[in-house]
Amino acid sequence: MKHAWKELLHGKRKYILIEILLILLMFMVLFLSGLAEGLGRAVIAGIDTMDAKYFLLDDEAEELITVSSLDEEILETVKAQTSSDVVPLDIQRMYLIKDGDTEKLNITYFAVEPGSFIEPAVAEGKRLCEVANEADADGRYPVVLDDDFMLEGISLGDTVYDSSTLLPFYVAGFAKDQMYGHVSIGFISTETYTKLREELSPMYTKKYHALAIQDEDIEKISVEGTELVAKADIISNIPSYTAEHLTITMIVWVLIIVSAVIIGIFHYILTLQKRKQFGVMKALGMSTGELTVTVICQVAILSVFAGAVALGLTFGMAAGLPEKMPFYLRFDNALVVTGVFIVISILSSILSIVNISRIDPITAIGGGEE
Amino acid sequence: MSMLEIKNISKSFRDGSEENHVLSGLSLSVESGEIVAVLGPSGSGKSTFLSIAGLLLSADSGEVFIGGKEVSKLPKSKWTRYRKEHIGFIFQSHQLLPYLNSADQLTLFQDKKNVSKVDAMELLKELDVDSCKKKYPAKMSGGEKQRVAIARAFVNDPEIILADEPTASLDAKRGRVVVQMIRDEVKKRGKVAVVVTHDERILDLMDKVYRLENGRLTEISNS
Repeated sequence: MKHAWKELLHGKRKYILIEILLILLMFMVLFLSGLAEGLGRAVIAGIDTMDAKYFLLDDEAEELITVSSLDEEILETVKAQTSSDVVPLDIQRMYLIKDGDTEKLNITYFAVEPGSFIEPAVAEGKRLCEVANEADADGRYPVVLDDDFMLEGISLGDTVYDSSTLLPFYVAGFAKDQMYGHVSIGFISTETYTKLREELSPMYTKKYHALAIQDEDIEKISVEGTELVAKADIISNIPSYTAEHLTITMIVWVLIIVSAVIIGIFHYILTLQKRKQFGVMKALGMSTGELTVTVICQVAILSVFAGAVALGLTFGMAAGLPEKMPFYLRFDNALVVTGVFIVISILSSILSIVNISRIDPITAIGGGEE
Repeated sequence: MSMLEIKNISKSFRDGSEENHVLSGLSLSVESGEIVAVLGPSGSGKSTFLSIAGLLLSADSGEVFIGGKEVSKLPKSKWTRYRKEHIGFIFQSHQLLPYLNSADQLTLFQDKKNVSKVDAMELLKELDVDSCKKKYPAKMSGGEKQRVAIARAFVNDPEIILADEPTASLDAKRGRVVVQMIRDEVKKRGKVAVVVTHDERILDLMDKVYRLENGRLTEISNS
């Protein structure tokens, strides 16, 4: 241990260079996993942040909320079958137009009952349940938008229109991190949604896409032609999510492994340079075990320090990133990635240890020609 | 009783298709407090002899006794520990670790149980390098480095000291000083030193001088 530390201190310049490399590698891995997660969030956040455990869908919907269709009375039936809270949810992809503009903005409407448990908290303004749930004096209905719409120049109180019906909304509030299928969400009340559908087709009869169930009490829920789907399954069935997520996750893990192998090779080269020194240490009575501890200590010190700095850098950088950048990294996930990185780099020093164990102390004698 | 007793050691290496007999029936006996030199041209087997005496290499036949104990019978797994406790090495060039100052060169190799027996700082003083305590090898002269290396050889209170060409990297004057110091420490502490060398200028500091020829040692008169 003492040898490990003193050698690092003495070779400051050399080891600082190695440390910079380590930090950059770890930073790259962390940053990319943040971007990967962020990209994933853009697909699933709207569902993932919902406080629901299960969703009831029609059994021909292939676990996809947007193609499911449930009759209105099923809501009351299910409510009677469980003690958990049950609320309707509709998801509809449409376009939005800013007042006085012609550009269409992508929006996914999430229609919820105001005040129900799937209604999100707002970062700014008011929630749907805090405003009158009907048209205001100008005939506008309330909408709570994902805060990405702020970047489009929309602010609280602005008027926006649904592009196909030209139904006017006023922006009641902004919620954070509300995306579905790469598109920002606008929350409207189920009532407003019905109004919207009626504008689209006068023949519309009220139906729900899905029912969200808050808790675990689902055993008695049984309605002909429907199925219960866990939240995780809903998420993995969102179109393209699983394929995208798998690809990006693979990239991140390949990066972690490649970086760790690079580190292993670095330490191996250092070991080769020190063969003579290790030979002398062995001749002087230091066992392979003691030398192994020294090497592992050095690798551990270098990689733990690099991990800490890289974590700081990543979160520092994330704070300064533009809002539009899909970066999302939870601290515990970042810790796991860093931890795995440290463990793999220590494992990769086994290569060096095998080399050390093969050094014959006799090389110290006779001028030390190898 | 001899502190170091080598009996009838033989060692041969395969050299292509030929068997190369490096040592054939070599014997040597050194008493406590004696310092002896082993002379010989390069390739005569000096290194092989030193490696076998220092438990770095096993002989094909023959026995090695240190302090009356037959160490040639020890299993290889015990060699490292035995070297640390009973044998002090002085190498051709100092072989100090570049990242340790002189004080650490000694203390980091000293067994805890020897701390009370041998005062590492006192050793540095005796070898006249106590001014180098905080210095790293890169900042020291060749003579200073070799003297710290000598101090390191004594720090675990070994029975025997094996020196491999200790004057090779030093000029004549510094070489003599260094060997004189090895001699003084051996006499003072009642150790045994075997110095493998081809430096004839230091032979007058030896109690006995042997020449390694044809795989055996012959004592030559020490004038």
